[in-house]
Amino acid sequence: MAIDMTQFYQVFFEESEEHLAAMETLLLDLDIENPDSEQLNAIFRAAHSIKGSAGTFGFTDLAETTHILENLLDRIRKRELGLRADMVDAFLECGDLLRGMLDGHQGRGGVAPDAVEAICSRLRELSSGQSVAATPPPAVIADAVDQVPIAVEISGRRVFDIQFLPTEISAKGEGVANLLDELRAIGDLEILGQPDAEACNVGFWQLRLITEVPQESFSDQIDFIADHGAWRVVEDKSVAVNGTSAFGFFKDQPGVPDEHRGYGFFTSVAGEPLSDLTEAIGKIVEDDSYGFFDPLPAVASAVEEVAMAEEGDGYGFFAPLPVAVAALTPEPVMAEEGDGYGFFAPITPPLTEAPPVAMAEPSLPAPIVQAAPVAMEKPTVPPVRAAKAAAPSAVAADSSIRVSIEKVDQLINLVGELVITQSMLLQTATQLQDSAPERLIHGLAQLERNTRDLQESVMSIRMMPISFVFSRFPRVVRDLSGKLGKQVEIKTTGETTELDKSLIERITDPLTHLIRNSLDHGIETPEKRVAAGKSPVGTITLKAYHQGGNIVIEVGDDGAGLPRDKILAKAREKGLPASDQMTDQEVFSLIFEAGFSTADQVTDVSGRGVGMDVVRRNIQSMGGRVEIESIFGVGTRMTVRLPLTLAILDGMSVAVGDQTYILPLSYVIESLQPETGDIKTLSNQARVIQVRGEYLPVVVLHEVFNIKSSFIDFTQGIMVVLDADGAKAALFVDTLVGQHQVVIKSLEANYRRVPGVSGATIMGDGHVAMILDVSAIAGMAKSNMQKAG
Amino acid sequence: MEVMTHTGAAAGESDMAASEYLTFTLGSEEYAIDILKVQEIRGYEQPTLIANAPPFIKGVINLRGIIVPVVDLRIKFNLGKIEYTPFTVVIILNVARRVIGVVVDSVSDVISLTPAQIRPAPDFSGTFDTRYIQGLATQGTRMMIVTDIERMMTSADMELIDTAAA
Repeated sequence: MAIDMTQFYQVFFEESEEHLAAMETLLLDLDIENPDSEQLNAIFRAAHSIKGSAGTFGFTDLAETTHILENLLDRIRKRELGLRADMVDAFLECGDLLRGMLDGHQGRGGVAPDAVEAICSRLRELSSGQSVAATPPPAVIADAVDQVPIAVEISGRRVFDIQFLPTEISAKGEGVANLLDELRAIGDLEILGQPDAEACNVGFWQLRLITEVPQESFSDQIDFIADHGAWRVVEDKSVAVNGTSAFGFFKDQPGVPDEHRGYGFFTSVAGEPLSDLTEAIGKIVEDDSYGFFDPLPAVASAVEEVAMAEEGDGYGFFAPLPVAVAALTPEPVMAEEGDGYGFFAPITPPLTEAPPVAMAEPSLPAPIVQAAPVAMEKPTVPPVRAAKAAAPSAVAADSSIRVSIEKVDQLINLVGELVITQSMLLQTATQLQDSAPERLIHGLAQLERNTRDLQESVMSIRMMPISFVFSRFPRVVRDLSGKLGKQVEIKTTGETTELDKSLIERITDPLTHLIRNSLDHGIETPEKRVAAGKSPVGTITLKAYHQGGNIVIEVGDDGAGLPRDKILAKAREKGLPASDQMTDQEVFSLIFEAGFSTADQVTDVSGRGVGMDVVRRNIQSMGGRVEIESIFGVGTRMTVRLPLTLAILDGMSVAVGDQTYILPLSYVIESLQPETGDIKTLSNQARVIQVRGEYLPVVVLHEVFNIKSSFIDFTQGIMVVLDADGAKAALFVDTLVGQHQVVIKSLEANYRRVPGVSGATIMGDGHVAMILDVSAIAGMAKSNMQKAG
Repeated sequence: MEVMTHTGAAAGESDMAASEYLTFTLGSEEYAIDILKVQEIRGYEQPTLIANAPPFIKGVINLRGIIVPVVDLRIKFNLGKIEYTPFTVVIILNVARRVIGVVVDSVSDVISLTPAQIRPAPDFSGTFDTRYIQGLATQGTRMMIVTDIERMMTSADMELIDTAAA
């Protein structure tokens, strides 16, 4: 029975992160006045899934906190409580804490226990707040059904439901007896269920303890006795509060035929199917009151006969509608429901059956297969049930698999090799010309198409929609605008635009910074906005789209715009080269200089002048660039251009002598053939060329790289005009060869950095070509000019 | 088998520690390197030039998708005639988790040497720093320079590795 759960931890962490992210997005989307019940359900489901798996994997802190969260969510969902803005705040905060706990479990940081306590009590307050009197009996039932009793102390005495499965050794020895004695010593102990005497105490125990001591003081003992953490202690409020009808029902001893009093409780809701239950069924009904912890090994073994009954009351419990019960008649389905419960409990006390289903599979394969159908066949099942069913059905419907990124990268590398090999073959075949058999040529053409397709689909594995980044910004904006006392709305378009995963990871920080900047410096306070004749609510627009081989991300705001004069003044103050003749673009680019800030006061959000330079550096290191457009008083737009992927580059190949070089196409503006006299010299050293009224420094590649060129005369070669983040230069090469998509290879893996070269690639003929580092080359031009000037 | 008589009594124990060496020639000199550092041997192909690299770094080649720098030791040590024929050989080394190609005149054979067979080299000045020489070994009339190729390739002299990285 002992399954090593640790192997599933990573999956749990990832899934929980996803659930948390989904929850956050949904919360931010919620219309507080008129919440959409679908959304509320989805939030509830996310919380429920986290709780369920956290319980399964034994992360009790997570499970307990989520549990409280879920309680409140459940009540909102059922319209017992109205949704309020402060609740959403509490939920978001709780989500952050849960994320912190997850990190803690993964060995990164953690959460202060009092913070957890604070949020828990806040949630409880919200939950109990206005509705104490209104709590209708159904709510109590719901609590009992869900096994989600609210942990509240009643006059110092608390009621704990304890369930455990002792290890064989402790059960046969004195272990269990000792435990019972110890528990009796600290409070009133009731034994609700215990294994048959013949089984020598081996089996499932259910106890109820009413005591004043906290759970921690006795949970260790239980843990010691129990088999691999197969124990659970639940504090039960519902029992403590009324302890009457529901309690009476739960108290029934297992095996004792159920009395009608107990049934009365159910029959009213469950209807006929329950009335002719047998003795065995009575036992199950009893078990079922514990919902999915239900443990009796007997249930697992005797599933066939009991199935029907169990099914019946399972639904009686969870689904007050008789219709639902009636809808459930197909036998196998029911049987499966039955084992679901009986079987899993002994592993650990899972709250939801979803993850254990997969683990339990070897012993009981058939039921699992049917899990999803059950969920789908019953549209009438009430929400609680549906929420539980949602987990397994999600497992079944979710046809994605998690693969480590290294494996994908390896695949991409291999496909890259394949593409190269394929083009080598093709080249060889074309050299054979007529002597190559036609079928070979056809085959190779086919191969080419196939490899291209293959490469495309492999590359798409790494592509992810940018919504992964965008989805976090509504939260950033919400928190920050609250802090700054501004009213800001965020609009996103093009969330489905895809880009490489590695870029997704690296673009997040720069974009966050740009948005914070827009919020802090761009958008004005509501008063100022109204005074300027704008709507008091500012708008930040996030837009992503493809343009050429690039992805363009725009961060726009309708705020104050950049003050040109102020920037210029500040630049002079800092000793930066600034003149009134500079174009707006050049002036605005100054804000990317290190230490530059025009903010009148430094806030904790921004204004220290640290950041924009980092933003630009980060974006440049990704092979991208950032531009600013701004109209004073109207707004600002920052445009980030990024290559789609870091692994592949759109390049233009140029030849110098017998060497081929690749220029990243995104930097190339135009190319032209100079005419005699176009090239002028400064101090007889640096050369410039006039292109469209602009004098550009000339970089002669064969001089810079010290290689032989076929031409001495400039008029025979080609000038390629490059723009590296505003620094323009004309690069002189012999000829343009063509345009390729090239796979970027590191030169540093086996060699070292070469100035002016950003990497290497393998051309179709198998030769290596260097990829030029355009920024560095433009820099060379600059230093040449300075030397000359 | 003169070697055996040469080393005499020591042979018994040192046989245990014998390791294999690949020998190659540069001009008229014969070198031996630890065979475990050798990944493969291939014919010379015209490499792609690296801008502003020292002359003995011929450039980089594509070794099944890996970019591998190629060093011509003949240029580095001023040995022999620098010509590239169909028989010019590149030894692909795997040192310091890097892959490096070395151009030599020819590869001779693989020999087994015990530590006792490797004699300390006398101090001599020249382009070839004695730091990289483990010793001299003889087989018949042949004298082989046993070289610590890993140390040599990773040294600053070779300019193969960023000083920051090294």
